[in-house]
Amino acid sequence: VGLLRDLGYTHVRHYRGGLAGWRDAGNRVESRDGAPEPIVEPTPALGPHARRPPAAVRRPWGAVLLDLIERQSPARLFALWLSVILLSAGVYWLAGLSEHHGLRADGRRVETSLAGFATAVYFSFVTATSIGYGDVVPVGGVRALAIAEAVSGLLVFGALVAKFVSRRQDELVREIHRVTFEERLDRVQTNLHLVLSELQAIAAMCGDESVHLERVRARLESAALVFASELRAIHGLLYRPQWAAEETVLGAILASLAGSFGALADALACLPPSLARTPTLDGALRSSARLAREICGECVPRAYAPALTVWMDRISEMASRIG
Amino acid sequence: MTSATNSSIAEISREEITKRLDDPTLVIVDVLPAESYAAAHIPGARSLPLAEIEPHARELLSDRDADIAVYCAKFT
Repeated sequence: VGLLRDLGYTHVRHYRGGLAGWRDAGNRVESRDGAPEPIVEPTPALGPHARRPPAAVRRPWGAVLLDLIERQSPARLFALWLSVILLSAGVYWLAGLSEHHGLRADGRRVETSLAGFATAVYFSFVTATSIGYGDVVPVGGVRALAIAEAVSGLLVFGALVAKFVSRRQDELVREIHRVTFEERLDRVQTNLHLVLSELQAIAAMCGDESVHLERVRARLESAALVFASELRAIHGLLYRPQWAAEETVLGAILASLAGSFGALADALACLPPSLARTPTLDGALRSSARLAREICGECVPRAYAPALTVWMDRISEMASRIG
Repeated sequence: MTSATNSSIAEISREEITKRLDDPTLVIVDVLPAESYAAAHIPGARSLPLAEIEPHARELLSDRDADIAVYCAKFT
């Protein structure tokens, strides 16, 4: 916001909740390609109103049918399954009015009585679940219906079962993502600590006349490269709107970032400019400075930022002096 | 996480954004990186990652007096 205002925009306002707050409130989000969102999206978007990619190519009807089934909720699938069975039962029952169609039990015609309806429902369930005891058999035209019912009943029931399985799976995948995120945060913290000690060790060698400056530079170069890649990792983690880092963790990370920038500046200060002017070091410093500026932009709590911006200014100054 | 340093920045509520989603006079700006924008953004938002604000703001936001709502991830 501040940046935009500095550029002369007058009516800039900040939506503090950010993308995470927007999602938490159950609002719709868009993605560029319009594809359904990955598992991070809470279930509503997977409901019947989910946005589908525009059908640019003609898709086979089988896929369309499967998609149609896939989009239904378990309750609706179950209702569909039940209504297929009951409707078919009604047809079997009414077919009993005719001499040549309908159901036969023990070779006798099933009447269109109440007891006959119970038999028709029973037969319908036995057929739809593909049990097929064979104590009641269809005769005439309803045979075709019995086959169709068996096929569609299995299909819908299978979709229902798959739905339950995938629901559990989605939960697991989400859990895995969360754990991975936390593990990456942990690793970043550990790595940052190592980088900090390395940089401090380099800075400590500074006044030592017996140490070869070339070797100091080599160590500094590799430390700066690792540091830059850690910054990139932090940047990536912080910009993942669906997983907000805990404030204490974030504070710890930013604090060691500040420490590392300080040590890096100290280490740089003791190298003569002629030695510090290498493309590797230069690139690492420049990308560190850029990433640090982004991390410390408006997406990081202000309370942490002031301590950091001092280091940031220092490191950008350092980088510009070298570059 | 509000501190005195940024209390001068005007805020916009979610309700207002929701209400004005289809209102062309409110420009919604996503300052998250392009990958994040590609994955998900508030409907109708424009992408302007932090690093590109300075060089590209003028191309994307031609009207300086336009009503602009800026959002990022959550960290505030």
